[in-house]
Amino acid sequence: MIKALVREPAPSPPRMEPALPARGGRGWLPFAMLAGGLLLLAVLAFVSLTQGLSHISVATAFDALIAPKDTPDHRVIHGVRLPRTAMALLSGTALAVSGALMQSVTRNPLASETTLGINAGAFLVVAVGTVFWPGLLHQYAFLFAVAGGAGAALLVFGMGGGRKGTPIRIALSGMIVTLVLSSVTSALLLLFEQSTQGLFLWGSGSLNQNDWSGVRFAWPWVAGGLAVVLLAVRHLDLLAFGEETAQSLGHRIAGTRTFAMGAGIVLACVSVSIVGPIGFIGLLAPHIVKLSGMTRHAWLLPLSAIWGAAILLGADTIARSFAASAVGELPAGAVTAFIGAPWIIWLALRVSKHAASSAGAESRASMQISLFAKRMPYPLLILAFAALLVLVSLAALMSGTLHLSAEQVVSTLLGNGTPLHEKVLIDLRLPRLLTAAVVGVALAASGSLMQSAVRNPLADPQIVGVSSGAGVGAMLLLIAFPALPPGWVPVGAFAGGLAAAAIVYAAAWRRGLSPTVLTLVGIAVAASGSALINILVVYAKLTLAPALAWLAGSTYARSWSELGQTLPFIALLLPLAWWLGRRVDLLSFHDESSTGLGLPVRRTRLLVALLAVLLASVAVAAVGAVGFIGLLAPHAARMLAGSNHRRMILLSSLIGAVLLVGADWIGRIVLSPKEIPSGIVVALIGAPYLVFLMFRSRAGR
Amino acid sequence: MLSVLILLVAACGNGNNGAASSSASSSAPASSEAAGSPSASAASSAEASGTRNVKHALGDLPITGVPKKIVVLEWTYAEELLTLGVQPAGVADIENMKKWISTPTELSADVQDVGTRQEPNLETIAALEPDLIIGVKFRHEATYDQLNGIAPTLLFDPYPPEGQGDQYQEMLDTFHTIADVLGKQAEAEAMLADLQKTYDDGKAKLAAAGKEGRSIVLTMPWVDQNAVTFRISTDNALAIKNLEHLGLKNAFKPAQFEVYGYSTTGVEALQSVQDADYLHITAEDDVLPMLEKNPVWTGLNFVKDKRVYALGGDTWPYGGPYAAKLMAERAVNALTAAQ
Repeated sequence: MIKALVREPAPSPPRMEPALPARGGRGWLPFAMLAGGLLLLAVLAFVSLTQGLSHISVATAFDALIAPKDTPDHRVIHGVRLPRTAMALLSGTALAVSGALMQSVTRNPLASETTLGINAGAFLVVAVGTVFWPGLLHQYAFLFAVAGGAGAALLVFGMGGGRKGTPIRIALSGMIVTLVLSSVTSALLLLFEQSTQGLFLWGSGSLNQNDWSGVRFAWPWVAGGLAVVLLAVRHLDLLAFGEETAQSLGHRIAGTRTFAMGAGIVLACVSVSIVGPIGFIGLLAPHIVKLSGMTRHAWLLPLSAIWGAAILLGADTIARSFAASAVGELPAGAVTAFIGAPWIIWLALRVSKHAASSAGAESRASMQISLFAKRMPYPLLILAFAALLVLVSLAALMSGTLHLSAEQVVSTLLGNGTPLHEKVLIDLRLPRLLTAAVVGVALAASGSLMQSAVRNPLADPQIVGVSSGAGVGAMLLLIAFPALPPGWVPVGAFAGGLAAAAIVYAAAWRRGLSPTVLTLVGIAVAASGSALINILVVYAKLTLAPALAWLAGSTYARSWSELGQTLPFIALLLPLAWWLGRRVDLLSFHDESSTGLGLPVRRTRLLVALLAVLLASVAVAAVGAVGFIGLLAPHAARMLAGSNHRRMILLSSLIGAVLLVGADWIGRIVLSPKEIPSGIVVALIGAPYLVFLMFRSRAGR
Repeated sequence: MLSVLILLVAACGNGNNGAASSSASSSAPASSEAAGSPSASAASSAEASGTRNVKHALGDLPITGVPKKIVVLEWTYAEELLTLGVQPAGVADIENMKKWISTPTELSADVQDVGTRQEPNLETIAALEPDLIIGVKFRHEATYDQLNGIAPTLLFDPYPPEGQGDQYQEMLDTFHTIADVLGKQAEAEAMLADLQKTYDDGKAKLAAAGKEGRSIVLTMPWVDQNAVTFRISTDNALAIKNLEHLGLKNAFKPAQFEVYGYSTTGVEALQSVQDADYLHITAEDDVLPMLEKNPVWTGLNFVKDKRVYALGGDTWPYGGPYAAKLMAERAVNALTAAQ
């Protein structure tokens, strides 16, 4: 049977803070936090009331609140701005409390609506509703959001190892689930461009309110939720003890866990159903409060609520202050991502310090070689997959609007076809196929290298932020120099990918490029990259459609020139990756063992990672941000052929090529003449396989 | 490996293909030219036979003869083709086109759908073996080489940057260019004369109803999950220039130049234009119920005085002369309707 690929010591996840504070917070600090938070809230609320297209001064705003009259200004304040401010307060409260609850339940400092995929799940279901059942959605938006959010959370937990999952693993699986769900959402936005035109911006969080109906819906849920949760603070405090201790004290925490998690999901989804997915509040607010030493829920929850509301209101204020500038009003979610990303990086460094000093779980984890009972000899595997590649390529060359038989394909390739066949096959299908194959190879190799460097089988260029960075680089180039021919886009992508990787590695350097930190910082960089991309898309206005298509990862219209730009790099880098194989094998042991064997660990890791980033950047430059191949192909290769790196590179390259060629083919023919971008097809194929793998590896322990 | 072998074989094949395809494409227009000569020769003589250079957004394109099979990748140009009495061979996103715009005649049932406007399916286009492809710069510039490899491709840019011409003139120029290429100058002139007549009749009607020279704003609102978002047309917009031919004046002044001809704002922006007449193109029916719950909207002067005029959801503000005529007619009818 397939054994686990990575064995992590069955842990109680490393604890960030003591179960109960040594003292109940210094006497004055809680009150200072409370007062400070409330003051900030009041100031921000007033500032936000003065923001908008009609010029309204603070005095007028004050007036409107105290002595409302029926003047146009007062109407604006009461009808449009006050609901928006109120919604920001409610939303911030809901998200912050939700985050705090999730962190307590999972004892994972990284848990929040963003990292557990709840935002992505809710958004997807709302998008589906908008396209297929708009009337129903309008009435029951909340139910749709809860269904999506809860479903995503379940998936993340299942994939992350359930209760035995470490924080890192759960964060990673959250990231993957978010990526998959976002891909499907992008597909919907692309295919139904006119009917989903408002949804893209809403997907970055929009606090815009028409009237009080949103507030009227939300406030009972938020107030009620908060009240219910506050009544249970003693039980919540017990969660920090861990199962065994709590049981020995005579309490059943399973019920508390379910209740708290449920409350967290419901609160987050109330917010999502009205203002769209806004991330990071659930991470920022509770941690700010915990920083000041408050960990007892009686203080944590209300203070998180206040600070969450203040942060969101502040973010919205900042976002709206851009309205008069060339960029236009930013989505609130983009601003929170910007504020939140450096925070995650800081958090990542802190978590890794604690993890290293406590059980040292991650640095000791080693990648176990898998033992496949009915092992196929390696040459046979290579041959099998090469044959598969040829078959899939042939199928791809045969199908499309113009159906060609196999004989026609071969004869056209040899130069004996009709002009039409030649045009379709050689100008259109073949370069596309070859580009897909080459990019598949590059991504698979990049993934193998990165997984070895980071020593985590869930690492993938997309997760480490390279894909987002490349996307940002490409978009910046498009916007800053619109006159440049499209051939320059890859250069921007390249630069962006390298820059993102540089940030990630720089942040992790001081921790010896520890896998934990690399992964976490990668998540942060990826998130801020996505936020930046959203902002740039807003800035570029109508060029939304081309940007979306590129961002989804697409082999559409790839011609011989793209192939010519990509192939030389891959031809250079791939043999290098193969040659490094022996050293990469050594990297898979514990750091101490590897050093003992004479390997300069940090330097090798850097080199391997650099190679991985280069390969990934070239790939992204050619086809946009295609993900998952770097995750799936090495996995499959490792399952079939073991962890010998040289063998794995070859086999996973073949598998990667098969995957992307297959995805390109399927994307072309399923909805013909419309096309599904290959990146999305890969995500859709890959997701069930990934879920299967995760469950398998969990069960095999 | 096998892929390298395929690569080598293809490279050899490609070399032969270059010569073969160019001879194929040059023979096709020659035969169509012979078939279409009556209308071609009726038009300005020397242009129809032989190769001429057509100016488009990416420079000059040599076109031989009169194209018969035309693939159109943006709805505006499909509308213009139908106005000239020509059925295209393929159009992008037919289903949505029928929903969002109206055309003088229906698209014939054997017009092929070639995919989305943003990513038209190159194979479907190639399989139609067209003589001409018409696209739009902001969507199709990146794939221009591939499109041009299938058939001569014209790209137009309906959104000239600040100071480089206006959208209305660009629309007329493009219409003339397409008419010239297809040898349909007579039909083009007929349409433009009809358009001018619509303007003249419209002005007269407005004067009779006491509404000449009114200040208006034109918006396209939609519901953005929580609130209504408006695209308010600016002076450089095609739609506004069109309405100015009726003597109407745009009351909306944006903060900065908007290259696409509209500003995207919320309901607060309408306060500065509330004394004008409010014309709107609303495709979805959930907009009005939502607006009626908004106190800023209900306090606006034009709402209180019932100066809100619907132009119909399928009025396409980015279209050609037929769409312009439709919008002008509907605007006049709305403004002069009995209160």
